[in-house]
Amino acid sequence: MNTPAQDFPELLAPPAWRMIDIISDLHLQPGQPATVEAWRGYLQTTPADAIFILGDLFEVWVGDDAADAPGFEAQCAQWLRETCAQRAVYFMHGNRDFLLGERFAAQAGFTLLQDPTVLVFMDERWLLSHGDALCLDDTEYQQMRRQVRSAQWQQAVLAQPLEQRRTLARSARAQSEARQQAPGMVWADVDSAAAHEWLVRAGAATLVHGHTHRPAEHDLGDGLRRVVLSDWDADARPPRAQVLCLTAAGMKRVDLR
Amino acid sequence: MSNPQVELHIRDLGVIVLELDAAKAPKTVANFVDYVKKGQYDGTVFHRVIPGFMVQGGGFEPGMQQKPIGEQIENEANNGLKNDKYTVAMARTSAPHSASAQFFINAANNDFLNHTAPTAQGWGYAVFGKVVSGTDVVDRIERTKTGRRGFHDDVPVDDVVVDKAVVIAE
Repeated sequence: MNTPAQDFPELLAPPAWRMIDIISDLHLQPGQPATVEAWRGYLQTTPADAIFILGDLFEVWVGDDAADAPGFEAQCAQWLRETCAQRAVYFMHGNRDFLLGERFAAQAGFTLLQDPTVLVFMDERWLLSHGDALCLDDTEYQQMRRQVRSAQWQQAVLAQPLEQRRTLARSARAQSEARQQAPGMVWADVDSAAAHEWLVRAGAATLVHGHTHRPAEHDLGDGLRRVVLSDWDADARPPRAQVLCLTAAGMKRVDLR
Repeated sequence: MSNPQVELHIRDLGVIVLELDAAKAPKTVANFVDYVKKGQYDGTVFHRVIPGFMVQGGGFEPGMQQKPIGEQIENEANNGLKNDKYTVAMARTSAPHSASAQFFINAANNDFLNHTAPTAQGWGYAVFGKVVSGTDVVDRIERTKTGRRGFHDDVPVDDVVVDKAVVIAE
């Protein structure tokens, strides 16, 4: 297969767009107000024409009904709605917020994106992904991912009362953290061959993804590259809040103050 | 401040005595002693054993049943203590200050676990004591046969159980 199969969805940037922001892995939660505040400030001040959020915007998402009552999720929806009045916002699922659905997307004013999606901007094709689907070495994770991304599993979970889902999520997180306490463990990274194959399939030169929290640029050969987004943590020293900014001049990482 | 001592009674294998460095790792030692006194470690297993590297426990009961844990503590890896063979250190996730109850005993001089910088990559693992008796018991744990169990690799096939953990000197 030599020509791009173009089975990945494409998003053509309107000609009016001059600047696109790409962010991911903010892991927003009430218990980390500094990061929430950094994100809120960013939404209010960015000059971008469009924002692409490539997953794990939220630390956890137990269902769109979490935003029905006043609270953290509803507040985030409001801030997003205010931003969406000024610019286009797109959201892609991560491994934490994959239960976020159309209902919240409508409430917040953003558009859901498939993983991956090809962004066509300034005559360049950018392949956007959260990145977890490409960590092929982690076979247990990939098995679990297949399960939790299935409509059947999701329906079964979403049928449970909201409080029960919150309890389940806390328990799942605790188990995951306990498992991750593994000194010397080497984390799976995105598989280079798989990333290369995706780019060829997409007819794109650059893959942009998050998930691994290892910001870097990787040369994949044949003029292809993999660009990894930073995660956000305003409590870290030094604090992390970074945006990948695309313009006619190219790609640039912007560290928010 | 004198150094607390803790006994780990390992079923069928013997007793490990840890001497904890309260001067160099005050928060870590206080946290660990607190868990011991509350019986947190009684009935837990060494769930992750990698020969030539380390033996890890403090987090699970037999059957990989996770124990509830307390707050995360500050990483004291910058205290000058090295992850030398038979020292005891706190396990954590990749987040530097995420240690709570899990700990490990180094089975080699693991220089790469030492603190080099206060960054995510360089923080290292906080050493808070050493084995002063029962290194042979540690060696026996290190040699136990391991396999995969569910999500976990390097799990002893036959449970290595901490029957009880006791503070014997403070």
